[in-house]
Amino acid sequence: MGNGLLKDFFKRNGTVMGWFLIIAVTFWVVVLIILPQISMFDFSFRNHLPPPEMGGPKDVYTLKNYKYLIFGAEGNPDAYNKTDLAVFGKTLLAAAFVTILDLVLCYPIAYYLGQSRGGGLTRVLVLFLIIPYWINEILRAFAFRIIFGDSGVINEMMMFLGLIDSPIDFIRENVALYAGLGYAYILLMIFPMYNVIESLDRNQIEAARDMGASWVKIHRRIVIPYAKPGISSGCTMVFMLSAGALAAPQILGGPSSLWFTQIIYQWFNQGGNWPQGSAFAAVLLATCIFIVLAVMRIFKVNMGDIGK
Amino acid sequence: MKTDSLLIRIGLAFYLLLFFTYLLGPLVLMSITAFNSPSFPQATPWEVLTFEWFRVLYNDARIINGIKNSFIVGFFTVILSVIMGLAGALMLTQIWPKMRATFYTIIIAPILIPGVVLGISTLVFWDRINVMLGLSNDSFLHNGILLTVLGQSTFIASYCMLVFVARLQRYDTGLTEAALDLGATHTQAFRKIQLPFLAPAIGSAAVLAFLASFENYNTTTFTFGKYPTLTIELAQKVRYGINPSISSLAFIIVVLTVFFALAHEVRNRRAQLAIANGAPVGAVSAGFKLPKVFAGNPAAIILALFVTVSISLIAFAQFYDPEPAKAVLLKKKRAEQQKRIDALQKRLKEKRLQKIFKGPDIFGDGSSKVPQPPSKTPFGNVFDPGNLNKVAPGKEKPAAKPASPFGNVFDPGNLNKVAPEEKGKTTKP
Repeated sequence: MGNGLLKDFFKRNGTVMGWFLIIAVTFWVVVLIILPQISMFDFSFRNHLPPPEMGGPKDVYTLKNYKYLIFGAEGNPDAYNKTDLAVFGKTLLAAAFVTILDLVLCYPIAYYLGQSRGGGLTRVLVLFLIIPYWINEILRAFAFRIIFGDSGVINEMMMFLGLIDSPIDFIRENVALYAGLGYAYILLMIFPMYNVIESLDRNQIEAARDMGASWVKIHRRIVIPYAKPGISSGCTMVFMLSAGALAAPQILGGPSSLWFTQIIYQWFNQGGNWPQGSAFAAVLLATCIFIVLAVMRIFKVNMGDIGK
Repeated sequence: MKTDSLLIRIGLAFYLLLFFTYLLGPLVLMSITAFNSPSFPQATPWEVLTFEWFRVLYNDARIINGIKNSFIVGFFTVILSVIMGLAGALMLTQIWPKMRATFYTIIIAPILIPGVVLGISTLVFWDRINVMLGLSNDSFLHNGILLTVLGQSTFIASYCMLVFVARLQRYDTGLTEAALDLGATHTQAFRKIQLPFLAPAIGSAAVLAFLASFENYNTTTFTFGKYPTLTIELAQKVRYGINPSISSLAFIIVVLTVFFALAHEVRNRRAQLAIANGAPVGAVSAGFKLPKVFAGNPAAIILALFVTVSISLIAFAQFYDPEPAKAVLLKKKRAEQQKRIDALQKRLKEKRLQKIFKGPDIFGDGSSKVPQPPSKTPFGNVFDPGNLNKVAPGKEKPAAKPASPFGNVFDPGNLNKVAPEEKGKTTKP
């Protein structure tokens, strides 16, 4: 049967095009997507060995790296690895917070842009939305560091107005981090919602208004249910990207607060313990996949809605 | 009802303003810091207009090298991702329907996988292959450029794929069939019919891929090896000490971005106008119809203004010399500093003098009460020994001046000090 399918495939595309498609897609799917993930997963179950010993008698599978994340190093007085688990939990919570922040910020804009009749102003606003997204991620974080620094604009202005006496340390309070992360993913929240809301028939809203529905009710009963695929797609992307963010926490994070990705980074770049880092990365990946699937199940959204 | 909608409208306008301030404010402020002279990037207080940070940027070998690496990586990533994305999109249109959802999930997944994980898996996988093949540690599989291109292409190809899928949805497969019926080979049909149809999508996918590659950090930070890209260099600079030359780079990027965005908008708008007027694009853009281009095209006007301002700014930078203004500012600052130092020294001296003249507090006068309360006796407390070192009560204010006509040259406390003027000089850079 497979043979017949293949023959059919080549008949439809011709030999050259057929081979081109098969090779390119296989390379992408197998060599770039699937094998590296499997290899990382496999590596996370191995001992940390110097290269000459790889494949030797000591190169056996072990759960050590995962145990470390949960229980900490051997001889840890606590029952659990409090530091790393706390960071993990905090990262997920903070990512959820950033997602909600973005959703609240962006919904009105997406609604306004989607329902406006595509005039010149709308086009300019859309352009304004896209421009920050083209600026390097590092530079965006840098901008927030300038703004929220001790001698940054906000502190200077508040001191000038006499609201505060001494500068507030926004970096330590993580205000800068949340503002920066929220800023970074605004576009990814707005566009999926905008695309869906744009296709909403305005007559529905008019009809509801004529029937005397309140402004809140129109949104709750008509716009939000209709925009659900867009909302969940936007939320999924923002959540995943903030949970997996590395640059913003490195630049804007306070000295005492770590992001889970920073711990992974340390295992690779400073600790030099790749299997340990792989295990942490695998946990991050699994958690993210689980959360995305759960969200899609709860809101009854298909994978096909994501990335629209 | 009317007031209600007015209220909503005002609220909306206010919200739009606030939102776009949040969106664009940071970029504007960052750009401003590129022209301010302090060596820590700050917009306030404004000191002196300067262009020297652009020179610092230009002379920064690491940044220049990073830009070079970014372009190399970007070039190969664009090629690889566009090819794979196109193949993925074409495959999606003809894969066995039951497989389609799974296939789509797999090729869309790289967008959702954290970039860190992609970088790590790429690094680990090729390292394992390297070990398996028994190659040395500096073989081509450890080449930073190769690994970065592979790591980035994994997810950038997904973006490209989405662009192609959107375009292919409007493709009429009848065209290909017609070509085949007329005797074209499959390759010919693809090259002559489908590829031209996809050309605009290839263009936008390539731009998207390049931008994504250029600004990627999470994946690249694990794979770059000996070839740090611009983003990596920037991140290191920002983390370990910042100066406004980064702002000047940001300013350049912002300007380029705005320029291309406007140019794109102008082109789109022109095409739209042309369609609306029933004329082909070429007819509008050709010939001496420039004023018409501007008509009804605000983006074109902004673009023209923008270019004019940029050019005049560059020209201005050629002639502008911040040194005089800087010198003035420096003088002012020094004078201020000097004043502050003098005041401080005088105050110290006063204190010391007080101590010396007073000696042991035999009269039981509260010598700690330096700011004496105004006396109530007619004589004041002129006989108070604590007053010896003070000017008359009425002249309390100029206490900052030396109390005795000789200054306090005889003050033993001065022996171990430099003369006030000297000291002022030594503290200055």
